[in-house]
Amino acid sequence: MKTTITEKEGIITIAVSGELDTDTTLAFRNEVEPVMQRKNVNVELDFSELEYISSKALRVLISLQQQVIAGGGTLKVTNVQPAVQEVFDMTGLTASLIKD
Amino acid sequence: MKLNLTIRQGILLLLIVFGLIIGGVTFFTVRYFWALDVEKEYLDDRDDLVILASQIETSLDRGDEDPFRFVEATALIQAKDENFSYLLRDSTGIVVSPPFMAGKEIPIKHFEARSKDGLAGMAKVWGYDCFVIFYPLSHHPYELVAVYGYDYVFGDEAETLRIFTFQILAIFLVVALLTWFWLAPVLESSFARRQRAEDELRVAHELQLKAVTHDFVEDPQFDIHAELRAMKDVGGDIYLGGRMGNKLFFAIGDVSDKGTAAAFMMFMISSVIRSRIQGGTPLDEMMGEVSQLICDNPDYEMFCTLFMGFFNPETLEMEYCNAGHTRTLVDGEFLDQDPQLIAGIAPGYVYHTQKVRLRHGTRLLLYTDGVTEARSEDRSFFGEARLQEWMKQRPAEASCKEDCDALLEELTSFRGKAKQNDDIAIMCIKIK
Repeated sequence: MKTTITEKEGIITIAVSGELDTDTTLAFRNEVEPVMQRKNVNVELDFSELEYISSKALRVLISLQQQVIAGGGTLKVTNVQPAVQEVFDMTGLTASLIKD
Repeated sequence: MKLNLTIRQGILLLLIVFGLIIGGVTFFTVRYFWALDVEKEYLDDRDDLVILASQIETSLDRGDEDPFRFVEATALIQAKDENFSYLLRDSTGIVVSPPFMAGKEIPIKHFEARSKDGLAGMAKVWGYDCFVIFYPLSHHPYELVAVYGYDYVFGDEAETLRIFTFQILAIFLVVALLTWFWLAPVLESSFARRQRAEDELRVAHELQLKAVTHDFVEDPQFDIHAELRAMKDVGGDIYLGGRMGNKLFFAIGDVSDKGTAAAFMMFMISSVIRSRIQGGTPLDEMMGEVSQLICDNPDYEMFCTLFMGFFNPETLEMEYCNAGHTRTLVDGEFLDQDPQLIAGIAPGYVYHTQKVRLRHGTRLLLYTDGVTEARSEDRSFFGEARLQEWMKQRPAEASCKEDCDALLEELTSFRGKAKQNDDIAIMCIKIK
């Protein structure tokens, strides 16, 4: 798992590659937490190179989204690969997390 | 035999064993080097001894200082034979032999040389062969003896060895005291902490096991069986199943966390479902309640995927409600499950139920993501496709228990040497 954080025109893009499994989720959270704590941020999680996401990671995504929204910002997931998209579909999270 | 020792008893036992080993090693090291030295001296001086013995009388007559610095000792002659026995005492009356030799007689094994009044020979002192040289004083023949090897080891080298021994003993004493007064309390408290943590996990594990159904009763209208392979650190897979009035109720779920909190949450979910099901609460309402229960405890950051259903054997109709759970397989095909949100994320989320008509002989396979996300040694996933293929190839006459066992076996062989990475729960249902 690797994250790359870039900021452009008021949108913070966090590209996540590799796998978000039980072991890497905590590291992921620690890496992105400082961004999420800011007020009124617009965050986009670029999942174009994410191959797998575990249910624990989904829970973290939801928590992060709630945290960002509470700070007046937005958090959406973009460029989701089919295998990961399936997980979002199955868990009913597509509507709330994935950017149209 | 299993020893149940407290930490203090264990440490005491270890110290005793350790002390014995240290003592033993030191003792035998000292004896070994002494024996080597004595032997070396013996070989060097063998020929000299003959001369030495003959020189004794002359030397003493001249009033010379003893050229060999022998320890003087009185020798009690037991018999005037070659098998003389002697008691070693120095001239001041102090026994110079090691304490355990005090008062013991030393038999002379053989004499190397004998002059008019002097003897040189071999004797066992402190368990080792030594040279002993006996020579008489002018005022009391046969009274004073010199113990050659004995003197040798209790000279400078003996002093070194004695200091070495005391150093070893002092170090051991320090280690023992440190262990007893510092290490033991530290170990005790960390052991107590670990014990508490283990107890908690054990209780949590028991909770998880109590939360799932064990006694699948044989029923003329359906067959149902489920298996759980929980990870050691307590996961959150759950299932329930059994007859409720004229219907079969079943549920399978996965709480998204591990540890004690997840197990308690699972137990609560299980309790809510059990009590509501008795009161005839519809599936969608029940799902909403479960979701609300988890939402009410946001600090735990948990959620739960859950699939619940009722099957009516009279109408062959199955009513089901899905909250983000894995896709149920019906005769090898995936069931149409509306993508509804996982339970425990959005307070007030409204779930709905779906219906499907089944046939006699229909088989259902419900599972948690521990099955599809099981990984092989090359990190590939077991996956839905493989599961689907597996189910299609199962013989129709196999019982639900046989199906569960076969799938567990399939997963084990798929994993190979890779470790189980998540809880695995499987539920098989067959409509008779």
